[in-house]
Amino acid sequence: MTTMLPTKRETSDATVIAPTRRRSKPLRGRPGMFTTYAQELRLLNTRPKRIWVSFIVLGAVLLPFGVADDWLRLLAVGYVAAIGAIGLNLVTGYAGQVTLGHAFFLGVGAYTAAVISGDPDGRTLGLGITFLPVWLLAAGVVAGLCGLLVAPLAVRLRGLYLAIVTLGLVFLGEHIFKEWGAVTGGPGVGRSAAVPSLFGYELDQDGPFFTGMQQMYLLMLALLIIFAVLARNLMRSKVGRAFAAVRDRDIAAEIMGVGLTKHKALAFVVSSFYAGCAGALFYTVTGFFDPGSFNLLLSVQFIAMVLIGGVATISGSIMGALFIMLLPRFTQELPSLLPVVSSSPTDFPNVFQVESVLYGLLIIGFLIFEPRGLFGIWIRIRNYWKGWPFTY
Amino acid sequence: MSELVEVVVRGLGTGSVYALLALGFVVIYRATRVISFAQPAFMVAGAVAVSFLSDEIGYALAVPVAVLVGAALGLAVERTTIRPMIGKPVFVIAIITLGVDVVVRVFVNALIGTDVRQLGDPWGLETVSVLGIAVQQRFVASFVVTGLVVAALFAFLRWTRYGLAMRAVALDQEASMAQGVSVGKVFALSWALAGGLAAVAGAFVGTGSGIDQTTYIVAFAALPAIILGGIDSIVGAVVGGLGVGLVQSLVAAYQPDVAPWLGSNFQVVTPYLLMLAVLLARPYGLFGTPEVERV
Amino acid sequence: MTTRRTNTLALLLAASFAVTACRAEGNGSEASEDEGGIQTDVGVTSEACPEAVNADNGCIYLGTISDLTEGPFAPLAVPIVAAQKAFWQRINEQGGIGGYDVDVTTYVRDNKYNPEVHNQVYQEIKGEVLALAQTLGSPTTAAILEDLKASDVVAAPAAWTSAYDFEDVILESGTNYCFEAMNSVDWAVREFGAENVMAVHYPGDYGGDAAGGVEAGAQALGVEYADVETGQGTTSQGGAIQAILSQQPDVVFVTTGPADAAAIIGQATAGGFGGAFVGTSPTWNPALLQSPAAPALKAAYYQSGPWAPFGGDTPGHQAMRDALGDVTPSDGHTAGWIWSYPMKAALEAAVDNGDLTRAGLLEAVKGLDTVDYEGILPEAAGNYAAEPGEAAFRQSLISKVDEAAPTGVSVVEELFASEAAESYEFSGPCF
Repeated sequence: MTTMLPTKRETSDATVIAPTRRRSKPLRGRPGMFTTYAQELRLLNTRPKRIWVSFIVLGAVLLPFGVADDWLRLLAVGYVAAIGAIGLNLVTGYAGQVTLGHAFFLGVGAYTAAVISGDPDGRTLGLGITFLPVWLLAAGVVAGLCGLLVAPLAVRLRGLYLAIVTLGLVFLGEHIFKEWGAVTGGPGVGRSAAVPSLFGYELDQDGPFFTGMQQMYLLMLALLIIFAVLARNLMRSKVGRAFAAVRDRDIAAEIMGVGLTKHKALAFVVSSFYAGCAGALFYTVTGFFDPGSFNLLLSVQFIAMVLIGGVATISGSIMGALFIMLLPRFTQELPSLLPVVSSSPTDFPNVFQVESVLYGLLIIGFLIFEPRGLFGIWIRIRNYWKGWPFTY
Repeated sequence: MSELVEVVVRGLGTGSVYALLALGFVVIYRATRVISFAQPAFMVAGAVAVSFLSDEIGYALAVPVAVLVGAALGLAVERTTIRPMIGKPVFVIAIITLGVDVVVRVFVNALIGTDVRQLGDPWGLETVSVLGIAVQQRFVASFVVTGLVVAALFAFLRWTRYGLAMRAVALDQEASMAQGVSVGKVFALSWALAGGLAAVAGAFVGTGSGIDQTTYIVAFAALPAIILGGIDSIVGAVVGGLGVGLVQSLVAAYQPDVAPWLGSNFQVVTPYLLMLAVLLARPYGLFGTPEVERV
Repeated sequence: MTTRRTNTLALLLAASFAVTACRAEGNGSEASEDEGGIQTDVGVTSEACPEAVNADNGCIYLGTISDLTEGPFAPLAVPIVAAQKAFWQRINEQGGIGGYDVDVTTYVRDNKYNPEVHNQVYQEIKGEVLALAQTLGSPTTAAILEDLKASDVVAAPAAWTSAYDFEDVILESGTNYCFEAMNSVDWAVREFGAENVMAVHYPGDYGGDAAGGVEAGAQALGVEYADVETGQGTTSQGGAIQAILSQQPDVVFVTTGPADAAAIIGQATAGGFGGAFVGTSPTWNPALLQSPAAPALKAAYYQSGPWAPFGGDTPGHQAMRDALGDVTPSDGHTAGWIWSYPMKAALEAAVDNGDLTRAGLLEAVKGLDTVDYEGILPEAAGNYAAEPGEAAFRQSLISKVDEAAPTGVSVVEELFASEAAESYEFSGPCF
């Protein structure tokens, strides 16, 4: 429903003042004042948001021309992790269903994609269809179906019970992946990952204009933007509000008419879809993966991304994912700054230990001191500058 | 038949380790309503302590000292990371304990090194004759010691003031505080107890093969044990732990012949399937109290 | 669009193009020629190595990817890296190769015995090194093999799988698991009169290769054969132990990591098994003598291997002991030392050809038909030029547990090749 506020400026511009559907423009000089609900719900509703987002996206798109390939690899993997983290945030942050089983869905997606695009003559199962949208969607759909199977459990269980049952899912998944050698190659052996090719053009090989890594980076960036906007749209809609109701007081939500079963199942399905797509893309960058990777540690990494980035925010998930994925690279630089930390794994303390400890300490630190995560830190900064110089 | 007895004894032996860990989980849960994922790290810390101390003072003395070390570790963790978070959502604290697990394990793994460390226990792989059947000594020892520890714990809860305080806090924190029970001290005591129990578990988990950097994975089987026993029941923890150990051992022995299509090492997954089966019938575990949900 | 907006946009575009210049390249991937007229490309610099022995020499960077922290071979891998460091230190002290020092310490990475991690860390160091001084693990190396071949990167594997004899880029030393297993079966039948053998092994190129050898040897001699696959982890050996106890073979050939082997041997013996065990060479670790399985190992365990252990009596072994000095002996040291000989020979040949590029090093490797192992192995063992069917070295030896020896084992049967191995038609990998 649109309304029109008949101020002087507006009436002087308009030829006809008719109370019909016309998207009202924001008032000039009063950018923060929303006059319609639609305005408030817009994805980028304030001008600073629009400017910042365009800066960031432009910067991300131009990055491949200024940065070396190994950083691009890291960032590409970070973007894919962000897709997975968004999925986990949907189910754990927005809908409040604690799940430790994300690694299972990542694995399902990764193997579906690998099987569909794998070499038919190789040692492991493969169908040879390397067209990217086909295996990506298939991975997401298959993982989503697995999520649908898990959903009835979620409806019946809550809180820590759900967490431990989904933990069991990870172990079950690990076992299946290890045993199903035809698909996964077997533990300690592994198989090659999905091959990204678009209309016959292989994206991970060096092309005429860009290197393989540049292409992969841009691909992952594009996919991240698509998935992030989709998720944000979903959460802006009534589904998102229903999720929030389920998270906050699920019995009251049910009484109000928010179907618990339907929305919990939807949360799991959407989150598994995202996890499946992320899993499929995760390993196309390195090209090879082992069934032992889909373990509790991977699930915990994603939980850390969500918690450190910011619960129930999409941009928080992206920040958290990039943070966690880039962390090992930064800790590797540590021995040059702190000679006490050696880079040889046999001394103590060494880089690998510092990385693990830092990881645990970050989880603890963020949860104790900044529960809203990196997004919360950003909000603090933003509020400081919004109120500047009246910062008290 | 002798094989069955051997398998049962092995199951009870490994089940005792799970029961000790499960007890630790349950004690913490009863007091603070939090599942602490730090138990695997405490277990390995206890095992490492035994491994280092038994060279100096012998295994029998090393275990009590390791228990004190485990208790001190639990106490330290509680004071630094859990105490500031009282009142925050339970899920958040559970993830904090996950972080604690990661940190403690890094230090403990550094002490273990890349080789397998031996605990110096007197049982090794030797067998003893029970009813004419040879069973491994370490399983019998593990079961007996666990039985003693559980009995001591029951006695503590039943007949001492602090045991009473713990039972009160488990029922209702506010009412206990109103009655003059120091809830903070009970929290600290719960964590210390859990650390100590995990240390005893660690002292037995490495008998026969030693400990290495992957030993902590054994502790995760205790999670289904607490769920199927009932997350707030001490009896449930013991029953759940022993049950999980027993079923695991039976599956490990007979599944390769009966159902080889399930794959090798299916016993790793069995506790979770068992847990799911129990949850379908009794959603709060065998001995758990149903949660009251309010709007 | 307002003027202001157009200006900002133009500024941004200009800035972004300026940033393009920052895109740096790796460690000299341009082909160049140094003063000696030797062509170089990746991984060879004319600046001295960090911590160089000869400050006037340039530097050849060799990468090392090994299991340094978590996997089943970490106790062996750490000594392997140390021995290689000592080997190249000795070479540098003798003046280096062709005016270059060799550096094996700057690009050392941990693979956690995981093919995915192996691939990842290899991609990280690929642009900086000429070749790989060590890549540990058969399945892990398999993960990067295609890339190695595509980039002409020569690699010395810390593994002995038979597939390597068919790859030009792989610089293997010593006989592979397949022949080693065939020889072991032959010896077991001669020594114990075995009629019934079992192979207990990890999945993949390591265990599967040895199992293939056991099967081939068993078929050649007409003995019964059983295959049991097992996973990693001392608590996961229940299935293997159960199989041994229920099938009761005469000899069990174990191809796993040391800790898992100790679990299998110790518990099977405790369960009443009375037969013998023969372990493939990476399955032994002297620390096992402190484990509860020690009595079982001393009584029933034999070790097959491609060369004499640490305490061996050859000029090469002596040079190794001198270079390493005072360390806890491990056969990881022996292996790391010996694996470096072909790389040295290849580098020297490449320098003689004046071509120290990756392609040049590969050509040099393909031209090698003997390698000087300083007596540890016969020179013909280092034949990379001929067809695998002729060039593959087929001899191995058997050791027994001996507490007095530096690494806990001493040789009971010197290098030999069984008839099964000699007559085997080696046209493809055993796995």
